[in-house]
Amino acid sequence: MKTVKNRNSRSHADIAIKLSGVSKRYTIHHEKPTLVEHLIKGKTEEFWALKDINLTIKKGEKIGIIGPNGSGKTTLLKIISGITSPTSGTVITYGKVVSLIDLEAGFHPDLTGIDNIYLNGMLLGMNKKEIECKLDSIIAFADIGQFIDASLFIYSEGMKLRLGFSIAVHADPAVLILDEGLNTGDVKFQQKSNAKIQDYFEQGKTIVIASHWLEYIRKNCDRILTLENGCVL
Amino acid sequence: MKSKSYEIRLFWDLLCGMTEKELKSRYKHTVFGFLWILINPLLQMLVIGFIFRLFIKEPISNYFYYLFCGLLVWNFFSLTLSKTTPSIVYERSLIKKSRFPHSVIPLSIIFSNAINLVIALGLFSVPVVINGLFDIKNIPILLIALFLLLIFSIGISLFTSALNVRFRDVNFFVQAVLILWFYATPIVYSISVVPYNLMWLWRINPLTSIVQLFQFIFSGAPPPGWGMLLINLSISMLFLVLGIIVFKLESKNFDDWV
Repeated sequence: MKTVKNRNSRSHADIAIKLSGVSKRYTIHHEKPTLVEHLIKGKTEEFWALKDINLTIKKGEKIGIIGPNGSGKTTLLKIISGITSPTSGTVITYGKVVSLIDLEAGFHPDLTGIDNIYLNGMLLGMNKKEIECKLDSIIAFADIGQFIDASLFIYSEGMKLRLGFSIAVHADPAVLILDEGLNTGDVKFQQKSNAKIQDYFEQGKTIVIASHWLEYIRKNCDRILTLENGCVL
Repeated sequence: MKSKSYEIRLFWDLLCGMTEKELKSRYKHTVFGFLWILINPLLQMLVIGFIFRLFIKEPISNYFYYLFCGLLVWNFFSLTLSKTTPSIVYERSLIKKSRFPHSVIPLSIIFSNAINLVIALGLFSVPVVINGLFDIKNIPILLIALFLLLIFSIGISLFTSALNVRFRDVNFFVQAVLILWFYATPIVYSISVVPYNLMWLWRINPLTSIVQLFQFIFSGAPPPGWGMLLINLSISMLFLVLGIIVFKLESKNFDDWV
């Protein structure tokens, strides 16, 4: 059985995310298989990135996930944010989940900054009206200035990251997914974005962070989850 | 429930936004911009009209109109299918961004092409109306024809785009089939020249009656028979159901393959 659900936040008072018996299998494809190969070979190599994860995250909880490379941190974050589905087990999330993992993903280089704000905002679960209301604030926070109605391909890397970050934090997530090493632009913007994330910490939002940086997690999180080889230790 | 209607609203907003993106990015950085939507079909009309006058002597009345509306429909279909099939792979960065209904990716391509088609048909209606070939009573039939074309395009696009994520052969297969498909659809010829023992091939091709409906409206050709229409329609519906099921099953794991 596998289900992924996103329920109305009112239906469960104190739980933000509930994972039960979640496993994720990846098929190792050294080369993309062709239809013919698939039919002839039948079976393929498998890899279990996560094995039977049970995890309940309460509303307002800050949870840090640590573990070596390849321990399944990213897969777990992807499953929580609904980007991929578990092979078995159930995932239930209450409220909007926004991940800050890949900030530049989903930008279209030929469209203007404003067009991209609309498109990206909708992908993050805001409707058109919401974006219209927040447009000025998004632009102001990203600090793009006169380039906002220019095509995105002339933007510098830093500008794109700033815009991506600004849209994501304006999506007003109930659950925020962070990956370590959030590098957003110059020192000034890093301070600004760190302050914003610190804001989330203080606002009592549910936050899931994956990191190698134990100190940071110890300081900021209520609970630490150690992953190794796809299992919770 | 609030969240259900909110989700539908969001799906709709996203679909409109993506369709807008398709149209905008297509004509961005061109000198003529959106004028290309008009220029393209006009150029096509000129070229086909010219070739038609010089070379082709088909025994079909109003052959220019017959050919042109068939080609417009065909262009829509072949462009749509060849763009939607690899679309999920091309838009991998969206898939990696967040959880959203993946079907908006192929659907937005279909709708942006449909807008182009409707504009081209509108332009094309001008000479048709002037020549008195257009009957105002046929407008409902035109809407039905457009609807059938959309239904079939959506069904087959969902099917091929979902399968192409795991089996990239699907894209090559589609390209090859499209070449054959053109000749298996009565666009340059009339269905009446098809030998009866091969007619089943046209019956299983949902485009047959769709193209025939357009030709009926714009060039006064005979409409498709009821048998043809019903068999075509059933196959369209079959593709739609199959497409939705396959897309639903496969879309959960798109991220694993792109």
